[in-house]
Amino acid sequence: MLGPQDTRDAFEIAERGYWLDRTLFQYSLKAIYCKRKEHFDRFDEMFDRFWSRYYDDKLEARKKTVKQIKKEPETDTIIFLGAKFNKPRKEKEEKEAKQTKGANENVRLRFTDFSKVDVADRERLEELAEELFHQMSMRFKRRLEDANKGRIDIRKTIRHSISKGGLMLDLAHRKKRKEKRKVVFILDVSGSMDTYSYYLLRYVMVLKKYFRELEFFTFSTHLTHVTPMLRANNELQILKDIGSNVQTWSSGTKIGESLTEFLSGYGNKFLSQKHVVVILSDGLETGSVTQLKEAVGTIRRKCKTLIWLNPLKGMKDYQPIQKGIVNVMPHLDAFESAHNLDSLLKLEKLLMDV
Amino acid sequence: MNKEIQGLIADFYEQDYILNQALATSVFLLNNLEKPLLLEGDPGVGKTMLASALAAHLKTDLIRLQCYEGLDVGTTIYEWNYQKQLLHIKLFEQEKDKRTLGEEIFGMEYVLKRPLLRSITAEKPVVLLIDEIDRADEEFEAFLLELLSDFQISIPELGTIKAVTKPMVILTSNRTRELSDALRRRCLYHWVDFPSKAMEIDIIARKLPDIDEQLAAQVVTFIHNLRKSSLKKPPGIAESLDWAKTLLLLNAENITDEIVQNTVGSVLKHKDDIEFVRNKSVQEFLIPID
Repeated sequence: MLGPQDTRDAFEIAERGYWLDRTLFQYSLKAIYCKRKEHFDRFDEMFDRFWSRYYDDKLEARKKTVKQIKKEPETDTIIFLGAKFNKPRKEKEEKEAKQTKGANENVRLRFTDFSKVDVADRERLEELAEELFHQMSMRFKRRLEDANKGRIDIRKTIRHSISKGGLMLDLAHRKKRKEKRKVVFILDVSGSMDTYSYYLLRYVMVLKKYFRELEFFTFSTHLTHVTPMLRANNELQILKDIGSNVQTWSSGTKIGESLTEFLSGYGNKFLSQKHVVVILSDGLETGSVTQLKEAVGTIRRKCKTLIWLNPLKGMKDYQPIQKGIVNVMPHLDAFESAHNLDSLLKLEKLLMDV
Repeated sequence: MNKEIQGLIADFYEQDYILNQALATSVFLLNNLEKPLLLEGDPGVGKTMLASALAAHLKTDLIRLQCYEGLDVGTTIYEWNYQKQLLHIKLFEQEKDKRTLGEEIFGMEYVLKRPLLRSITAEKPVVLLIDEIDRADEEFEAFLLELLSDFQISIPELGTIKAVTKPMVILTSNRTRELSDALRRRCLYHWVDFPSKAMEIDIIARKLPDIDEQLAAQVVTFIHNLRKSSLKKPPGIAESLDWAKTLLLLNAENITDEIVQNTVGSVLKHKDDIEFVRNKSVQEFLIPID
């Protein structure tokens, strides 16, 4: 968000005549307006888009593509004996549209299912997700960091007083022990999760910044340990790395096999009574259900809390009756939805209790 | 290009610091708008060096504050000189009354100035480098806000001390944690990226004039390929220079498998990264890239 001070600075450089040199003006505005790397990376393109005619043409072309997306008719057409009849729709299937009737744009997007986001909304949703995730991360940071000062440390206080002639002018405090929070995220990136996995991935990337001990795995038919890729500072680079290193992206789902692989390869290292495990999957198992049940049971025994996030839970009339889910439900501490921005933000409370 | 910025680039070049136009503009604004400059970037891209080069360019002092977790007012702003205060009380307790003594021992002469206070009470503008601010606690970051926006510091016993001359403040961060929006809002911002290939060759040639041009180009190609290999700790400019120096010492003419096996420790600082490079052929890292 830009404030009046930024605008004043921009006017000041314009008044000094810097605008006469396009590059100087561009770099000056960049230094003033950008506040983080993500802004810095996008600024040049936005500046060009605003000032260059070249981008006007592109914008026109974009407008045309947006217009081409036809709106669904309000009524269904029935052809009966060669005559056309218009049949009014009884009820809109999408619950979220009903819920957000009359609400502003941001609220509507916040409640829109990721799988139902159209082309026109995608960009706006991206921006909103970035903003809301950032706000959430700031809240995390504030709450996760305890005040450093604990009880008064008598020994240290006396020792400090020696240099001041025995007068206790400075009180020394003990440092509070910071609780180590350990979270393991296991994300399903199979074909059935395609529309959700991108947003869930971004969500985990934000959390990674604030949980010192967060491990991240993806799976579909095989498990991939992606934590090392999250170390890069550039968010786009991370997404690119994960995209190119996860071999089984958008393929079938073998949850049981992948979780067994997790247990045998990483179980000893990343499972303890201090760990919270979050599985993000729709639970549509194509492999052995028995193996899935056993793997989830073992994970539950070895960790502190097991949370399952299922995007399908956000759908109207969803019942957890699929074989995979039915078998794992008894082992779960929480079973929540993760189908839109709002549901992801609500998880904040769940993770706070970690 | 603006003449002043051109001059700045040329002057920094004399200090062995190669500025690109965007960074030069940020430094130029830091000087003209009198706003702090926040530099973010990977470790080893030359953020700290920029402050030294700026101080040399302006022929002024550089005051550096290295941040760490647990940094407090006593180490950053001021501390009372307790010994001196006690001595003063002992010397004059017979001659002066308590009230006068109390007033006297809380004067500027009993204050031990730490970097931040020194920077705003200096007679001529200095360059203040607040290095790795992301390592400091949030409390310290909040305390800095007053200094960064109003160039003043409040000391409870003395009141508000306004800057005699405004220091040029450079803050650096490696993004190990997210800085607050309040701090960002008060600063100009620049993301310092790794230099382009040509620029890095120029840096090496500038720092090591004896190096063969072809060898410098090979070093830079190798390093740039490494940076694209998603290592745990990608090498910075300092590592490029260290490696080039090592190769010079060994009188190497070309980078070979044997040389890489023996000297990779000066480029990579992580066991997994070293193994990754040792298991590959040197030719894979010498493929020319843009």
